[in-house]
Formats: sequence, structure tokens, C-alpha cells
Amino acid sequence: MLLTFERMGALRWILVLWGVLVAAFLLLPVLFIVALSFGSSRWLQFPPPAWTLRWYQELLADPRWLDSILTSFKVAALVTVASVLLGLLAAFGLVRGRFPGREVLRAFFLTPMILPVVVLAVALYALFLRVGLNGTLAGFVIGHLILALPFSIISITGALEGFDKAIEDAAVVCGAHPFEAKLRVTLPALKLGLFGAAVFSFLVSWDEVIVAIFMASPTLQTFPVRIWGVLRQDLSPVIAAASSLLVLLTLVLMAAAALVRRGSRR
Amino acid sequence: MTRPFLDIKGIRKTFGPVVAVEDVTLEVAKGEFLTFLGPSGSGKSTTLYAIAGFQPPTSGEVLLDGRSLLAVPSHKRNIGMVFQRYTLFPHLSVAENVAFPLRVRRRKDAEIDAKVARMLALVRLDGMGGRMPGQLSGGQQQRVALARALAYDPPVLLMDEPLSALDKKLREKIQLEIRRIHKETGVTILYVTHDQEEALRLSDRIAVFNRGRIEQTGTGRDLYENPATGFVAGFIGSSNFLPAEMERGEGDAAAVRLPDGTRLTGVRMHQRLGAGESCALMVRPERLRLETASTGGVPVRIDDVTYLGDSLHFLVQAPWRQQIGVRMPIASGIDAGLTSGTEARLVWPASAGHLFAGAS
Ligand SMILES: Nc1ncnc2c1ncn2[C@@H]1O[C@H](COP(=O)(O)OP(=O)(O)OP(=O)(O)O)[C@@H](O)[C@H]1O
Ligand SMILES: [Mg+2]
Repeated sequence: MLLTFERMGALRWILVLWGVLVAAFLLLPVLFIVALSFGSSRWLQFPPPAWTLRWYQELLADPRWLDSILTSFKVAALVTVASVLLGLLAAFGLVRGRFPGREVLRAFFLTPMILPVVVLAVALYALFLRVGLNGTLAGFVIGHLILALPFSIISITGALEGFDKAIEDAAVVCGAHPFEAKLRVTLPALKLGLFGAAVFSFLVSWDEVIVAIFMASPTLQTFPVRIWGVLRQDLSPVIAAASSLLVLLTLVLMAAAALVRRGSRR
Repeated sequence: MTRPFLDIKGIRKTFGPVVAVEDVTLEVAKGEFLTFLGPSGSGKSTTLYAIAGFQPPTSGEVLLDGRSLLAVPSHKRNIGMVFQRYTLFPHLSVAENVAFPLRVRRRKDAEIDAKVARMLALVRLDGMGGRMPGQLSGGQQQRVALARALAYDPPVLLMDEPLSALDKKLREKIQLEIRRIHKETGVTILYVTHDQEEALRLSDRIAVFNRGRIEQTGTGRDLYENPATGFVAGFIGSSNFLPAEMERGEGDAAAVRLPDGTRLTGVRMHQRLGAGESCALMVRPERLRLETASTGGVPVRIDDVTYLGDSLHFLVQAPWRQQIGVRMPIASGIDAGLTSGTEARLVWPASAGHLFAGAS
């Protein structure tokens, strides 16, 4: 007999309690920030003496905040598109290709995940200084793309490995040009992998701060960079509001991803 | 002689040092149901893939109706194929799967709808068009795959072990459907299997594959009654190979001697053999008889008797310590003295023996 959750008797309540504790440990800082963003105290008093939406109003009334949010969106969207496209091509090469050094290349593609981000940021900064990409949208996109690509490649490679090539072959004998077969049969079959790649790529870029700090200029900065910059000058509840927005979008994307996954399983 | 419909000429395929197909030559008539039968790794799939265009052969030629197929890319060959694994497009409904080849051919919607309905009726899945592949059983999926492969009226249909993932009952049921569909459509079918019963049940002709070559092509009856090689004899039906020594041959009849000294004449010889050569004498279990009253034949001891309903199966031991299988129909009247542990005489008509090179 397997030891299932239902069979554990009293032990299961200990497990439940443990689960709740771990979740609380992970979530408390976030909940704390969200609570503060609705609190009326300018000095971030906890528990908040009263509740208000004032800090959100201030945030949304300030064009510098809005600009940074827009910049973050633009960068993340471009990174998402580029990362999924490149990830898809790389996955086809890595999974279907038969060439020496394939495994090495695969490992190499994942190095941005293990390389300290600061190292990458400094290197990019030095390189972009020569080609004049610092402080430009392209600079942000390239920097974040490097960080996002490994996630895309892992997600899409996994999906492609789980896809039986014979299904694509079947489409070809049915009369579809190999390219059409990939477009109409293989890509739809990979949709979960592609969607996962898109969500991860967007999130990597959306809350990335280290590379973005190096890339930023006074006129062009992303949302997290602006949070960081303002935070260093003064501690205002507006920051808590901004952070809450950052978390909110992440939550929305994760929820969407979960829904898509559930929907396609049915 | 008329030109063959599908003409496979000297196909050879190597993967690096591996020779997958050594040399396959085969002529297939229009409307014929021809099966590739052979052990695993004998090159059946590789030959099929060369025709489908997934794996171009290293050398050789394939002509369809006199025109070379090899120069045509896979998607323009207009050939139907059903795979061993389930290959329905997972995101499309059953009807859209069957419609797929027609959509890529840019047919009109009305025509597509009519054809899909006809195809689903052909494979007895009417009314299932709206289902998704994941909601179908394995047998249903393969029938949809068959409908999809026939939707564009291909001149040739290739099937690579389409039923091997199904259980025996279902397999036999779909075999009957495939036969019916073959009759109704008249399509030329090349079918791969390593199940000889399936091959015998379905095919007009069978090509027996071994190590990248075709050992023999013929009807099931040909292969069973006149096997060209020891391999074919051993692969089709059950068989006993008795070691023998060639004494002399005249035409295709030979005289041989068994290890215990028994001499046999009028044995059918399928390969040229010289006097004194050691060879193998093949006899089917059902052509052998055990007798207690006789004095001829080979003296044997009965090791084991199995009751099989319509027949008895004996395992007997020859004087040269070989176990031989004997199958006798109960209706033929079996001596009650033939029980385990008793001695008997093993006899067979001379024409039931087939002589092949090399003692097995
Ligand atoms: N892509 C490949 N690369 C290397 N060797 C291959 C490849 N495809 C097939 N082979 C080899 O070629 C030989 C014939 O393979 P093939 O698949 O044609 O056999 P088969 O008769 O279809 O066997 P099965 O009944 O197992 O399907 C085998 O030895 C196999 O290992
Ligand atoms: Mg095969």
C-alpha cells in the first residue's frame, strides 16, 4: 500500500501546518508590502492606522512612473517575441539536428542561467559602451533576451522532445510541404511549450533589475529600476504601491498560464 | 509482359556502417495487397520509408506507373501512409484530421465535407467526426488514420505495422475491415508486419524479408508449401529441421541419409546440393505421423503429449537427441498407445520433406 495523504491520520495535520508555515514564510514579505501600499501612514507604520488608495493615485499621476511602466512593457513584449522565436529555432536545431557538439551547444545555451547576472551586466555594459547601445530600448531588449532565452529553450525543447516526429511525417505524406506541416501540425502541438516560454520570458524581463540598472539612462528606465532609484532617495509608500503592481502583473500571468494548462488538459 | 504498377528496383539503404536494406527488388501489380513479412530489423520499414520519401535510398529506383518516385519530394508523391504509432494531429478533431490532406490540396469546402463523411463511413466511424483524437481508443485512432490516408485517393497505400499496438481480438477485427476496405477501394497496399498470421490473412502476396533482402515472394500457399529457403520455411508456420547428409540428387529430387542411418528418397530439393554435403531436411509437424504398428520410419520416444482440442501435439525424441514436434488431427484416429514415455515410429510421405542447404 502506498502512503497516501488520506491514510496518514494525525500526521497529515502536522504536514498541513508545516505547508502553511512554509507558504507564510515565502509570502509574508509580499503580503506586508501589499498591506503597506494601502496603509495611510507616510512612515510605513505597521499595522496601518487607516486604509487609503492615495499612494496608487500618486503613482498613476506621475508621468515618470507611467513612462517606466510603459518602457518595461515594451521591453518585456519585445523580449518575449524574440525569445520565443529564437527559442523555437534553437529547439529544432538541438532536438532534430544531428551534428557533432550538439550537447555542448545545448549546455552553452543555458549558461546565462548559471552565470552571475552582475558579471553579464558589466560585460554587456562595457560592450554596449563601444556600440552605443546603453540607454536604448535595443540595449534593454538584448540584455534581457540573453537572460530569457535559456527559459525559452528549456520549455520549447521539452515540448519538441515530447512530440512524435512521425506525426509531422504523417502531415508531409498527406501532402503538406514540410514547412506547412511544421506550421499547421507541429506548432499547434507545441503550444503549451511556446506559451510557457512566452510567460517565462516576459516575467524574466518584467522584474529584472540588475542588467536594467546598467542599461538605464535618466530618460529611459524600466519599472524595477525606477523603484530602485526612488527607494534610494526616500522611503515612500508609493514604492509599496509600485511593488504591489509589479507583483500583481506577475500573479496575473501565472494564473493565466495555469488556466491555459488546465484548459488544454481537458 | 505488362508493366508493373509499382516497380522497386535494387533498393539499398545504409546508415553509416549499418546496412539497413541490402538489395530489395519487387514488382507490385495494381490493386494488389502485398505484405512485407520478416523479423525485427530486416529492413521492412526502411523499404517503406524509401517509397514514402522520408529516407531516400542510397541507391536503387522506385517507379510508380513507369515514372520515378525518387525525384518527387515526399509531400508531392500522393502516397497514403498509416504508421505504427498513433499519428493523428492531436489538436484537430477526427473530421479535421481526415480533411487535412484535402485542405492542403486546397479543395472546396463542400467537396471536403462530402469526402470526409464518405471516408468516416468507410472506416465505420460515422458520427465520430467531432471527437478529438485523445477521446478515441487505439483501434479507432488507427481507423481514422486509415481514413485520412485514403481521403485523397492515393494510388498506393503504405501501412507500417498499423495494428501492432492493439490486442489480438481487436487486431483480427480491424484486419477484416482492412480487407473489406481494400476490396471496396481497389487501392494498391504495401503492408508491413512481423505477424505471419496477419500476413496470411490479409495478403494476396507476401514478401519475406531477412537481413535487408527479400528471401521469397509469393502467395501464402506458395511460401508454406514451397519455401525457397530454410529461412522462409522456418519463418512461415512451424517446422522441424532434421540434420541430413546428401547422397545424390536428380532434378529436384534427392536421396538423403539421416544421422541414425535411415535413408530417404524422393525428397524435394530447393537448393543445389552436392553429394556428401550436410543439409537440413524440413518437415512440417502436421505432415508427420506416429505409428506403433509400423516398422519403417525413424524410431522415436514420446516425451510429451498436449491436447489441443482438434489435434494432439507430441514432442518426440529422435535417436540423435533432437526434439521433434508432431501434430496429428484427432479425427484421423490416433492409436491409444501413443502416450508419454512410449516408443513409436515417426513416418512421413517423401514429398513432405524439403531439403535446404546447411544443417540447422
Ligand atoms: N535512422 C537509422 N539509423 C541507423 N540505423 C537504422 C536507422 N533506421 C533503421 N536502422 C537500422 O536498419 C535496420 C533495418 O531497420 P528497419 O526499421 O527497416 O527494420 P524493420 O524490418 O522495420 O524492423 P521492425 O520489425 O523492428 O520494425 C535495423 O538494423 C536498424 O537498426
Ligand atoms: Mg519497422
